[in-house]
Amino acid sequence: MTLRLWPRSLAARTAFVLIAGLVVVQIAGLTIHALDRLDALHLAQTREIAMRVISTYRTVMMTAPERREAVLGELRRVPGLTAELAREPPAPDLPDTLPFGQRLLRVNLNLVPLMGVPHWHGLRILTDHARHLIIIGMRIPDGDWLNLSVPEEPLRPWHSPRFLAAFLLMTVTAAGLTLWAVRRLTAPVRTLAAAAEALGRDVNAPPLPEDGPLEVATAATAFNTMAARIRRFVQDRTELLTAIGHDLRTPITRLKLRAEFVEDDEQRGKMLADLEELEAMVSATLAFGRDARTTEPVASLDLAELLRTVLDEIGDTRPNVAPRLAYEGPPHLTVRARPLALKRALANLASNAVTYGGSAHIRLKPPADGVAVIEVEDDGPGIPSAELDRVFEPFHRGEPSRNRETGGVGLGLPIARNILRAHGGDVVLANRPMSGLKATLTLPA
Amino acid sequence: MEQAPHILVVDDDREIRDLLARFLEEKHQMRVTAVRDAREARRAFTNGHYHLVVLDLMLPGEGGLEFARWLRAQSDVPIVMLTAMGEETDRIIGLELGADDYVPKPFNPRELLARIRAVLRRAGDAPERRTELSARNLRFGGWTLEPARRRLLNPEGVEVALTGGEYDLLVALVERSNRVLTRDMLLDLLRGRQAGPFDRAIDVAISRLRRKLEDDGRNAQLIKTVRGGGYVLAATVERA
Repeated sequence: MTLRLWPRSLAARTAFVLIAGLVVVQIAGLTIHALDRLDALHLAQTREIAMRVISTYRTVMMTAPERREAVLGELRRVPGLTAELAREPPAPDLPDTLPFGQRLLRVNLNLVPLMGVPHWHGLRILTDHARHLIIIGMRIPDGDWLNLSVPEEPLRPWHSPRFLAAFLLMTVTAAGLTLWAVRRLTAPVRTLAAAAEALGRDVNAPPLPEDGPLEVATAATAFNTMAARIRRFVQDRTELLTAIGHDLRTPITRLKLRAEFVEDDEQRGKMLADLEELEAMVSATLAFGRDARTTEPVASLDLAELLRTVLDEIGDTRPNVAPRLAYEGPPHLTVRARPLALKRALANLASNAVTYGGSAHIRLKPPADGVAVIEVEDDGPGIPSAELDRVFEPFHRGEPSRNRETGGVGLGLPIARNILRAHGGDVVLANRPMSGLKATLTLPA
Repeated sequence: MEQAPHILVVDDDREIRDLLARFLEEKHQMRVTAVRDAREARRAFTNGHYHLVVLDLMLPGEGGLEFARWLRAQSDVPIVMLTAMGEETDRIIGLELGADDYVPKPFNPRELLARIRAVLRRAGDAPERRTELSARNLRFGGWTLEPARRRLLNPEGVEVALTGGEYDLLVALVERSNRVLTRDMLLDLLRGRQAGPFDRAIDVAISRLRRKLEDDGRNAQLIKTVRGGGYVLAATVERA
């Protein structure tokens, strides 16, 4: 449980360490100050006691012996000091210890000038801790003891309202400054994390500003260099693909023309179907390459009509599945999007549903909170839940047995996801409770 | 067409040139001259008479677009472009330069044939108007067709998606507004695109178009059915 106190964020940890250090320094400083003050207080108190004791002693000594009791009676009326004459030294049962304070008092008593009265013959200094009294016994020259007791004022070096206010002000100010400075200094780390996150989503994310403290600027430069390298790598791969796609166009065109000279109708039909499939793969590859540079302008379009058109086109080219295509939703819904790109994304998802699931049921939900939701469902076998996210990886082709029959290069879903994300939306897949797969698309509306 | 139309094919790939020439000549009774690049095409065009030019935009040397510009400056001869699949910019520029139609490469020969026929037919019936068609937007009943971008905008300027067949059909109807289009003409347009029975395909496409144009099927005002098999677009079309 104690580990829970250790904060997780860098800023909080740094602030925690700094403030803890600050508190230790504060306490040490205050202690030194208090001890110093204690000494000063002690000295002052001792001086004052010494003055009073000596002045009482002088008064007694300058008075004739028979009148001394009466004078002492008068003196007792002043609070804070009691004095009496006795045959014995004071409280012999108390230990005659000589701690620092008493030694100080003894020195002071000897420093105050007696001015004409004889010096005492003996001196005892005791402390009655129980009653907080300092007891001083002085043997006057004729043999009696003058016993005085002075209340011992407790010394309170901490006890001052100004002291407390100053302490609080210092602590709060220092803590505030620390928090501010730490947040400021750790801000570049947060920026770096955000930039790494953005790079993961989009390799063309803007570079980090290369300024600020030296270490931060160095890290930003290194990060930008890395991002540029990744971008070049992705670009090279995409360009290679695009080049292959472009080169394949000529042989496919030739083959399509040649197929027209095949006399056997059945064979010609099959050849053309194969070529259509090949062309679809090339087209997907080129579309994937094109996504890297989305230049299509945004326009207003009717999403409901677009969805129906996508289904109609599938139905026109594959009349046998036409009865299992359905659209459900409002007749019109205007959104702002890149029309060709969005159509490609929707067509990829709908044709996947038809190819792997044998049907496509598209449901458009009117926008809530500015986001339109499109669901594309099929009645196929679905896909293993471990694959649900992996199928969005470029060139991932799922289980091989399925793809051998149906073709595809594994770009349809990555293209769809790239396009939707570029629109500020997304697409996720889920298996339906009974059977089939459901693609849920979100699109800002 | 009494006389076999003469087609100039410009493509840098020899195989494609030869195969396309054979396809058009042997199977579809057209005369074809096939050349390799813009330079040869210029010479051929200057020395002969052609009904239509099939032009690959991705020519080596002087590009296809450059040649199309030259060609347009010389003549009103219809041009069908072969464009790179998915290269929107080339297609739009080509149509703006005055090409009449385009087919993305790799093309389906039958679709190319359908385009050639449709463009020839169009060239046949209104030579002076045709040259203005391709790049100009067409407005009818509040709707706008933009041929350069192959899109339909509703009166609020919102794009309404069309399938390829629907688009071709609508263009045909709009270009010949207030004239009856027979089933034969419409079939020609859809051939090469549609897989199912053509008659039904046309009826389906017309009913979808009516829905998209918010033209109530029972009481259609824009696309009217003509007794005896045909359709007519009943609207004034502005070109801008």
